[in-house]
Amino acid sequence: MKVIFLYIDPGSGSYLIQAIIAAVVGGLFYIKSGWLRIKSFFIKNKKEDPSMNDHKDA
Amino acid sequence: MPDHRVHPASYRDPSGFVFQSGSLYYRQVNKSYAQGYEELLRSGLYETLTRRELLLPHTEIGENLTGSPEWYKTLLPRQIPFISYPSEWSPAQLKDAALLTLKILSIATDHGMILKDATPFNIQFIGGKPVFIDTLSFEKYDATLPWVAYRQFCECMLFPLYLQHYLSTGTHWILSAWPEGIPAGVTAGMLPLKSRLRLGVWLHVLLQSRIQQTHSSKDTQAGRGRPEDGGPLDKGWPDGRRPEDRRHLSDGERSVDRRTAFSKEKLMHLVNNLESIVSRMKTDDGKLSVWNNYYESTISSQSYLEAKEKLFRGFIGGLEFGSALDLGANDGYFSRILAQALAEKAEALAPKAGAPTEKKEGVLAQAVIAVDSDWRCIQRLYDLTRLQPSFPIVPLVIDLANPTPASGFHHAERASFSGRARCDLVIALALIHHLALARNIPLTKIAAFLADLTGEYLIAEFVALSDEKSQELIRAKSQWQKGYDESGFEAALAPYFAIERKETISGSVRILYLLKRRGGEAEGRK
Repeated sequence: MKVIFLYIDPGSGSYLIQAIIAAVVGGLFYIKSGWLRIKSFFIKNKKEDPSMNDHKDA
Repeated sequence: MPDHRVHPASYRDPSGFVFQSGSLYYRQVNKSYAQGYEELLRSGLYETLTRRELLLPHTEIGENLTGSPEWYKTLLPRQIPFISYPSEWSPAQLKDAALLTLKILSIATDHGMILKDATPFNIQFIGGKPVFIDTLSFEKYDATLPWVAYRQFCECMLFPLYLQHYLSTGTHWILSAWPEGIPAGVTAGMLPLKSRLRLGVWLHVLLQSRIQQTHSSKDTQAGRGRPEDGGPLDKGWPDGRRPEDRRHLSDGERSVDRRTAFSKEKLMHLVNNLESIVSRMKTDDGKLSVWNNYYESTISSQSYLEAKEKLFRGFIGGLEFGSALDLGANDGYFSRILAQALAEKAEALAPKAGAPTEKKEGVLAQAVIAVDSDWRCIQRLYDLTRLQPSFPIVPLVIDLANPTPASGFHHAERASFSGRARCDLVIALALIHHLALARNIPLTKIAAFLADLTGEYLIAEFVALSDEKSQELIRAKSQWQKGYDESGFEAALAPYFAIERKETISGSVRILYLLKRRGGEAEGRK
């Protein structure tokens, strides 16, 4: 049987706290990356606009 | 078997211990940690960390120097110039130590290992940057478990940095009062209301404080301790068993018990979040202390500084010293001159790379310890040492009227400042009048303290009572130490030191002394 010995006390509920934090931060991460995807879609469009104008001007 | 002495602070982790044999420090790896140590080497983690200068390198000695039946390996680590404690660091140093811990944790998980502790005592400042020194802090990473040292990381590094960010008090006070880390509940009570605007404070401080309170009151109500002691089951988990209880399960049992399993992705979310919080922590509030810019703007005159520097360079030019201690270093103007002198000497001698340098009285050759009670000055000096890593300066926040005491179990875990800081050359410039006139310490006591720290030479500046700075110190006082004059100073030093040179700094009423410690000849240096 494999046994891991701890020599420091992880603290009451330390693992529960980490599970909650990882869930919250992970959730925010996905929201943020979703938001960045939407943002980059519009920024890309915006970037395309001046070039289109340039093209027209040319 | 050679004589050896186990380091009094090295008893917590059963994986091994540090001991001294002759003049060198070694680390023993015990049989119980054999698997962990072999994994550290096999996984390539040791190679990666030492190549990037994040971990102190070592060489293996194939000899049981302690005679212990637990012996597995003896390691000879590269010897460290000076051991400092987190309660002596400026906030920027603690911040760098925290970032190093997270970086090592992240690299370790990529190699299938994890840090089993996260105390800042595992970190020392060498060549202007933090280096992890505990080779035995790694264990095999089980991705189903969260980080066992998370709470320790928060209490020892994250919370002091949060308090510094919002209150700017310096982290050394906090870690002096709570050397094992400040609890979440205490931190929550000290943080100002505006800190509640930060998600990180809610997650790492307030949530942790609340959950710890709930758990401890539950345990107290049940009249029992933790679950492994037969304590109450935790309703926060589906089967009432916390993941820490699952650590004792076999691999087979664990594979069917994954309902609450953690994952590497989750751990990385946590580590990245901590890294982003710590890297955005402010370590300075931008305020200038009384001593900031002392040499740049508050000093009486530029010609005084030039004259003093010229004399000082003349004094140290003829001295042989391998270690130096700058007391009241301010922003390290003179520490840098000493460090430059040492660096030039080292270059001239061109020591063989990787060769362990011998430790002398707790201090390696080639180190300048710069101390000041003002953490802002020390932080500024630390910023400079980061830019010039070839200058071997160790900047520390120490109040000389109340230096670090011996502490820890049996007063033996952590040595006092005087017990660690004895150096070949000690300099005390523009300091003694502060101790004598502002702190009311008699000259005889100051001389005895300086003698304790001095291996061979002392360069001391005596600022006369008529000096403008001395007058400032006694302006609001009706009484101060009697006998504060040139002859009183020399009489106080006489039992310990012989005057080698004595020069008045031109354009001032200040005298610079070069003194030789009586009995110092036994050390065999010039």
